[in-house]
Amino acid sequence: MSKHWRTVFFGVMAILAVVIVVLATPPRADAIPAFSRQYNTSCSTCHIDFPKLNDFGKAFKDAGFKFPTDDESMLKIPPVLLGAPAQSELWPKAIWPGSIPGQLPVGLRMNNYFQVVGANRGNLTGGGVTPPGTGFVPRTDFETGFFSIFTAGNFGSDIAFWADDDISVAGANANGGLGDGYLKFVNIGRFMHLPKDALTFRVGQFELDLPFTQARSYNISPYDIYTEANIGAINTLFPQQNVNNGFALADAAQGVEFSGGHQYGGYHYSVAIVNQNTGGPIDTGTNIPTATGGNNGGLGFFSDSNFKDIYGRFSYRFNLERNAESRHSIQAAGPAGPRDHTYLRLGVYDFYGRSVQRFTGTNGTLTAREPFYRLGGDFDFGYHGVFNLYGLFMYGRDHNLLPVDSEGALLPLPLATGTMISGFMNGVPATFSGGFMQADYMVYPWMMVIMRWDSVHSTADLLNGAAGSPTNFPFAFNTTRNRFTPGVQFLIHANIKASFEYQIRPQQSVTVGDNGLPAQPFRTNAVTAGLEFVY
Amino acid sequence: MKRLSVVLAVVMVLALAASAGSISGKVSGVTGKSVVYVDTIAGKTFPAPAQHPVMDQKGLLFVPHIMVVQQETTVDFLNSDNVQHNVFWPSIGGDKKAGHNLGTWPKGEKKSWKFDHPGAATLLCNVHPEMSGYIVVSPTPYFAETDASGAFHIKDVPDGSYTVVAWHEGAKTQSKPVTVKGDTTQDFTLSK
Repeated sequence: MSKHWRTVFFGVMAILAVVIVVLATPPRADAIPAFSRQYNTSCSTCHIDFPKLNDFGKAFKDAGFKFPTDDESMLKIPPVLLGAPAQSELWPKAIWPGSIPGQLPVGLRMNNYFQVVGANRGNLTGGGVTPPGTGFVPRTDFETGFFSIFTAGNFGSDIAFWADDDISVAGANANGGLGDGYLKFVNIGRFMHLPKDALTFRVGQFELDLPFTQARSYNISPYDIYTEANIGAINTLFPQQNVNNGFALADAAQGVEFSGGHQYGGYHYSVAIVNQNTGGPIDTGTNIPTATGGNNGGLGFFSDSNFKDIYGRFSYRFNLERNAESRHSIQAAGPAGPRDHTYLRLGVYDFYGRSVQRFTGTNGTLTAREPFYRLGGDFDFGYHGVFNLYGLFMYGRDHNLLPVDSEGALLPLPLATGTMISGFMNGVPATFSGGFMQADYMVYPWMMVIMRWDSVHSTADLLNGAAGSPTNFPFAFNTTRNRFTPGVQFLIHANIKASFEYQIRPQQSVTVGDNGLPAQPFRTNAVTAGLEFVY
Repeated sequence: MKRLSVVLAVVMVLALAASAGSISGKVSGVTGKSVVYVDTIAGKTFPAPAQHPVMDQKGLLFVPHIMVVQQETTVDFLNSDNVQHNVFWPSIGGDKKAGHNLGTWPKGEKKSWKFDHPGAATLLCNVHPEMSGYIVVSPTPYFAETDASGAFHIKDVPDGSYTVVAWHEGAKTQSKPVTVKGDTTQDFTLSK
């Protein structure tokens, strides 16, 4: 048996072993995360396969983490009033009355992983164009994922809150730390006599209103295109690009967002104005106010520029039920009980920002402000909450300002230490494209099979790898990187899930051929098993 | 003559009353409400009750949690919540062929179902899996629910030999032969 097939064999056996254990355990629906406790209801009231939301869960979220109607009568733990409702009659001579949840709405989520990597893993640390690594990539590995705490709810007056934090690691954003933390003022359009839910305002740190969430994804591996940063090509085979934009669409953003409509039917829009954070340097000198205050005071800074980025999204969801009443309800009325709608949602999104790079020049610090955008469309088709097919396309483009010397001649990149520049000139823009498509099928209410295709097209990633400085993907062998990821997920209970993925990964290389391009491709496929629970 | 008729009628009523006993007892081994009923009596049928008891869905709960009805009774299922519910039961008395799904209906409306199969039906809602309720269908009009202490009293049971069934949520159903002659006592000890 070859090494490859041994990997596959052991991977399949590992999956089968866990599947048998899972199937031998009768499923129960007694999950009790934060909202389950408050409403004394199962996770599956809002989730298909946590954290994937069903139509009711989307309406619950739209309403500011409340039941869309009759919320008070559904709460099993009454809220604590921070003022009698009649206090509102005294305003502005009294504080407007609000409430806090009757029980601390805290949920915890923990996951663990087991990974089996293909035999080709040894190539990654073997000979190549870069100094071979001294590390070792194990065939099998146990890993802890994250242990996050999240709290969410409603303070009355349609003011919702959310905060989640990965407390298992230090860091921020994708590296742990605060995920989302925001206040959401739901349906403020009522003060302007706008239609219900036409205008909602959110402020804080949040994931952008992406067509398909990454922060609360139910997949083990992320969508590749969401994490694609745009690093321009620095390779003599290609016109040089002075683009070093670390922005990725899945990054948490700080700012404000206006939104409206519903996720479970009809239109939905959002417009966010957020910090620019493209990975540029932020001054932390002694006179700069820091986040911790102290003698300097202040809050510290997150932006690497004065410019604020803009994100916009619009989608329309067509519920395809024949019966008009059912079509406009939160959930459809099926012959065997309520269920998710059959629907088709179409959407577009656009992110516009400026990537900033600062250089020491003959006239002090010179700043290259390179406008960039990420533009795309998406579709989402669901059938009765049993089958879901969705996909997204993205095109990314960064303006390219190349450094020039005092005579206007291009300076070779990367700049040698101490190189003085005099200005910039336009170069070939750095672009990439890609997307993903995924199909989910609920075999049983506790078993979901998944097939996903990720694709990223980036010439720069290929060239940078060949030049020995891989950035987004280590030594891509092709300009287009395709990844196929079949998977299966089992709800052992409504709050405990076992997930499996087999990643058929893109070809990669550690060798450069005579033509200066990667040679001798290989794949490092991997089987990943995850076990997570929330409570 | 008229006086004689009255006397005869009184005598007959007294005679009937004398032959109609009761079954009392206690269900132990479990806590909470149990149901005790006289099982099918061979060769005897009973008219269907005209009254429609109501099983409500309110606050994500079945109200009442347990209902006992005579076979052939029509139960009205009401949705008092502003969220969608449904009601289905996978089986009645373990007979999966008697399972049924009533579908969906909006707040304030009812759906009715005639229970013509004896045994316990577990009521479930397919969108709120934590919800459950029970309708225990008695093949005879002789049934009772226990009180908090587990005591029950089935009245107006004609003298004779019967099979008496004790049911409790999540426990094994128990049947016992009982000969009724006047007021009769029969206890049950159930286990899960």
